[in-house]
Amino acid sequence: MATLTSTRYRVDDAAAAIDLCFEKGWTDGLPVVPPTEAAVRAMLDAARLAPDAQVAYIRDRAVAITAEKVAINAVMAGCMPEYMPVVVAAVEGIGDPRWGYHGPGTSTGGAAVLLIVNGPIARELDINAGDNLFGPGWRANLTIGRALRLVMRNVCGSLPGLLDRGTVGHPGKLSYVIAENESESPWTPLHVERGFRPEQSTVTVMAAEAPHQFYNQLSNTAEGVLTTLADNMRISGNVMGQPHYCLVIAGEHMRTIAASGWDKKRIRQFVWDNTQNSHAHLKRTQRMSGAVEAGDEQKMRPLVASPDDILVVAAGGRAGAFSCFIPGWSSAKSSAAITKEIKR
Amino acid sequence: MSMEILEPTTTAATQVIAYAARPAALAGKRVALVENTKFNSDKLLQRIGELLKTEYGAAECTMYRKHNASVPAHQEIIEAIRTSADVMVAGVGD
Repeated sequence: MATLTSTRYRVDDAAAAIDLCFEKGWTDGLPVVPPTEAAVRAMLDAARLAPDAQVAYIRDRAVAITAEKVAINAVMAGCMPEYMPVVVAAVEGIGDPRWGYHGPGTSTGGAAVLLIVNGPIARELDINAGDNLFGPGWRANLTIGRALRLVMRNVCGSLPGLLDRGTVGHPGKLSYVIAENESESPWTPLHVERGFRPEQSTVTVMAAEAPHQFYNQLSNTAEGVLTTLADNMRISGNVMGQPHYCLVIAGEHMRTIAASGWDKKRIRQFVWDNTQNSHAHLKRTQRMSGAVEAGDEQKMRPLVASPDDILVVAAGGRAGAFSCFIPGWSSAKSSAAITKEIKR
Repeated sequence: MSMEILEPTTTAATQVIAYAARPAALAGKRVALVENTKFNSDKLLQRIGELLKTEYGAAECTMYRKHNASVPAHQEIIEAIRTSADVMVAGVGD
């Protein structure tokens, strides 16, 4: 059996272990589960990984993230062993150079890592895709994202106030995990749109602001619902940066849009067309530099560089005419949403 | 009953970084200005470049632009600066 090489600390009992983790600065402010060797080994076994296997390498911080460290942090976060493959895939995602760790991991922009889980594993692990989507109540949702953030803190050094300089941050930095409601969605799942087979399980990581909820309790057409969405969204996030966006379409809106016969591609195109701002408006509102010039009223800047930079996910409760959009961090060029297969 | 727990942190491997020797004076030196794409970083560096020429006698200043603020300068820039400049100023405009 491969040796675990991490430094060991002996304490009197579990309460002392929890206190030690606080004293050492290893927690996110909440108590953690003590990472004993048995618990850490169960985590590694569930992902069939050797302790010294390198899960990711963060180039800009020159940090190698080993399976042993991921497992320790996953135990501390409260994960069940079977969640470990999801955590590993998420770590691979933020280690992808296209995700660009140094930006969202440190920026004053205060991004969290939004995790969207697709495929059979989401149902097997009971990752919530329904009521109270971003709220509490589901162990998988709250511990998988917490494990990822603890890895960022403890292994990559993204400590709030030191290397993590988020000006206001947001609660999603504790955990920010959803699944797509594939069993009720009329649309192609996110991972299939991004090149995977339906029976594969994946996690998509996107550096992201908090969810912005919008209301439309009036429309019975796709165009009506999405007109409201676009109007809420037009001035949001880093308006000049052209980041990714994630649209989370919940039950009632999902059924209304689908009844109009719209697929995800059409949703993306409509939202892209209707979230553009005139240069005149951007200048008047101090988002674009310079004085308003002739033609600026007609000159339009897309909120997102391409319709393909908009991720559309069916998730949220069945009842209630609410959905949300999530602005990505900075720009899609600085940090791309990355989808990784969950290997089991 | 006592228990043993494992440390969750990693210490990054240390590496030695060699710095180029600083020139004693800027007179006649070629200066590379590397801007990070944020608002006004180019203006700030442009002004610094002018001062380096008028007050310190630098021979010339050339501006380079990173892909975006959150990534290191790309190799193409590094190679260009290595061959065409004696001194570099990297600025963080925001």
